[in-house]
Amino acid sequence: MEIIKEASPHIRRRDSLNRMMVDLLIGLSPVLVFAFAVYQLAAVRNLFVSVGAMVAAEFVYVLIVNRLPKDGKKHSLGEKLRYGASHYRLSNFLVPTVSGLLYGLITPACFASVWTGSYWAVANPYNPLTDGYAYFVLIAGALFGLVVGKLVFGGTGHNIFNPAAAGFIFAKECFGSRYRVANYFDVYFNNITDVQTGGTFLNGSYSASASYSNYSLLDLLLGRTPGLMGEVCKVAILIGLAYLLIRHTIDWRITLSFLGTFVFLMFFAGLVVNSKDASIGVFPFVGYQLLSGGVLFGAVYMITDPVTSPMTSPSRVLYGTIIASSTVLIRLLGRSDYVKEGMCFSILLGNMVSPALDYYKWSTSKFTVKNLIPMVVIPLVALAVILWALGVSLPIVSSGSGSSSAGGSSASGSTSSGTDASAGGTTKAVIAGLPFLRGWL
Amino acid sequence: MILKTRAIKDHKLQLGGIPTEKVAVPDFLFLATNNARCAAAEVTIPVGAHVNLGEPIGIRHAAYFDQPIHATASGTFVGLEKHYHRSGKIVDFIKIQNDFKDTLDPSIHDRTDAEIAQLTRADMAEILKEDSLVGLGGSSFPTYVKFQTSRPIKTILLNGIECEPFITADQRLLLEDPADLIAGIKLLQQAFSCRDARICVKAKHRDIFALYAKVLAAYPNSGITIVPVGNFYPQGWEIAMIKSATGISVPVGHLPSEYGIANFNVSTAAGVYLAVKHRMPVYERYVSVCGDGIVSPKNFSVRVGTPVKFLIDRCGGYKNPEIPKVFILGGPMMGASLPSDDCILTKTVTSVIVMNERTYSEEPCIRCGSCVLSCPVGIQPVQIMNAMRQTPVDKDKVKALNPLLCIECGLCTYCCTSMIPLLEYVRRAKIVAKLP
Repeated sequence: MEIIKEASPHIRRRDSLNRMMVDLLIGLSPVLVFAFAVYQLAAVRNLFVSVGAMVAAEFVYVLIVNRLPKDGKKHSLGEKLRYGASHYRLSNFLVPTVSGLLYGLITPACFASVWTGSYWAVANPYNPLTDGYAYFVLIAGALFGLVVGKLVFGGTGHNIFNPAAAGFIFAKECFGSRYRVANYFDVYFNNITDVQTGGTFLNGSYSASASYSNYSLLDLLLGRTPGLMGEVCKVAILIGLAYLLIRHTIDWRITLSFLGTFVFLMFFAGLVVNSKDASIGVFPFVGYQLLSGGVLFGAVYMITDPVTSPMTSPSRVLYGTIIASSTVLIRLLGRSDYVKEGMCFSILLGNMVSPALDYYKWSTSKFTVKNLIPMVVIPLVALAVILWALGVSLPIVSSGSGSSSAGGSSASGSTSSGTDASAGGTTKAVIAGLPFLRGWL
Repeated sequence: MILKTRAIKDHKLQLGGIPTEKVAVPDFLFLATNNARCAAAEVTIPVGAHVNLGEPIGIRHAAYFDQPIHATASGTFVGLEKHYHRSGKIVDFIKIQNDFKDTLDPSIHDRTDAEIAQLTRADMAEILKEDSLVGLGGSSFPTYVKFQTSRPIKTILLNGIECEPFITADQRLLLEDPADLIAGIKLLQQAFSCRDARICVKAKHRDIFALYAKVLAAYPNSGITIVPVGNFYPQGWEIAMIKSATGISVPVGHLPSEYGIANFNVSTAAGVYLAVKHRMPVYERYVSVCGDGIVSPKNFSVRVGTPVKFLIDRCGGYKNPEIPKVFILGGPMMGASLPSDDCILTKTVTSVIVMNERTYSEEPCIRCGSCVLSCPVGIQPVQIMNAMRQTPVDKDKVKALNPLLCIECGLCTYCCTSMIPLLEYVRRAKIVAKLP
């Protein structure tokens, strides 16, 4: 019998990277089920292509970094490939699969194959059912996300940016006009094929039935809105969150500090908005902000990515507050249509500061008075900026031009008819400024 | 998992419920000459001489103390033989052929109660020094040194926690030998002129609390209490134990006596009684033999100096001998792994664990932070690992990360999601941090 000498400790926790990734897949499954059920083949197509692109990129990366050591002999190509492939492990498949799913879930159901006009003004009609589909947008984003977002830094565990967020920003910035959230939703849900009126919801020429202000908080919660495939159904995201927390796959500190700071800042912003226009309640305001766009999806699946978040508890809390402050600032004060949603840029901003939060002279593993200071100061500075900006310059929205073209129901109202103009133009204007249904940006 | 490790799962190998089996004394006993704390030793009797149980037959020399070696059986001194010591080194062992008579040395006779009542702290320190009592929880720290403090002691803590999984030696002592333990505690109370003595036991051991509710009722006003402490690891670390039992936080690097606390293992307290009352050195101890590489794990009460193989044979030998084994003396978290089963039980071996070898595939660190969350001293093992992986190693950075605070509890490696042996990096970092 052989006796092996090894260093202590001699037992390990039942745990592994693969287990964590499988848990993430299970945590994503409610969102995936929703996407498959609602968007059907479009979801299958988007997810399959983005996962396939990322897994393939990772496989090529494994072949590149594991080359046969030079021993003076000639090796055939097959031999070289077999040597590289022998270093391919299960985690090389699971990790890019998770990244690919995350990326695929924040794509719209269709990418227009034709140039449909600028982001805010539709030039060409586009029908997702009959017109072509721009695969290259999807694949370009996926490859950029994995290669530039992760592999160039050295693969799993070494990346600075979240691959899914990096890929999304790339695709959106380069091919933004091809993101056609509205059309697809209209076609499938409202049976509207009048794609002349497609485009964004925030501008003049939308069809009344597709107006965001026709959606109640319940609609937002259940996902009965247009939007990017994964982020619309908040119930599915919350189920995923519960599973991930039970399995300790994500750190609750990040999610909690993010959501806490977000609600805190939005509450005070809501107070200001309410004082200017009493028809907008504070709590509906906060509710719409929380349940619209990618806030919950980002808070559950994206900012909690352990590789791109800091390592100690105080740093993680600070990380959540930084991302939340940035998101709120961009959402409320961003003048450009492109940055209205704010979540994805905030994630990348948080990813950028996280190495600084881990700087060895600053990071401590226990909460001290000293490291509580930035956690309090950063949201308070953001709050001061928001209060000042909102107080000085209402209307806070830049899309007032389109706001009067159709009536909207009140923010919290459940509605089926877009012709109810009881809430009046101001409500519309303020709500219109909020990027409820715009997806990530 | 991103999770702080508290309790360590026992993997259904816990032996707490199994009564101790007293094994016969083997034909040959082996007594270590030098050990981890004592670099040199000499044997004071000639080969072939007859020895009695409890007779001093040699002296170990350490930096600032000498420690007599006592025979743990009567018989004949055969010679020196090399075996593995629990520290992992091969050292000379004094081989004694047992004559199975257990003749007591003439120096061993009981002290009367009147004599004991006269003893002061200094007297007891002298007695414990002669009987070479050391910390029996595994530290092998000479007990008399703790008696030499001149600081006032307000609380005596008896460590019966055994926070490491699998080990049950102290648990069996608490259950099976309460009389000796309480007699030992009374001597400690007398030595430190301190009434408050607390036995610390994990809250989950309900059988021990039920027993001591009865036992302590027989000693009213003795000042001895039993306190439940946390079930987590490393609760048995003295700073964690003091914090749980008294609420006092002792900073790392300070002695508990500075805060009016003296702490002893429960086996050590029983050893104090043996030494003071019977003038007898520790010659027997409780050992648990367990692990998934053993056919039938058991608790034993054995003579110090018994070869481990002797005990493993009593357990039915190795299970699945075709699988490579890891052979551990001490707990699975901090115990030393030996390259051979040819080793000897010394006073401070609490358990023998034989586990089937497990291999773990190391993945890249995903910065989950479980090691940072779990670390009981609040350092950041993952940062230390990253600093040690740099080439060249940035010495100032390593020093700033305080690896010297590490108590080598092993939690960082235990909880690593990517199966990285973090403790190895921290051990290396400790060496780097000590460089000028």
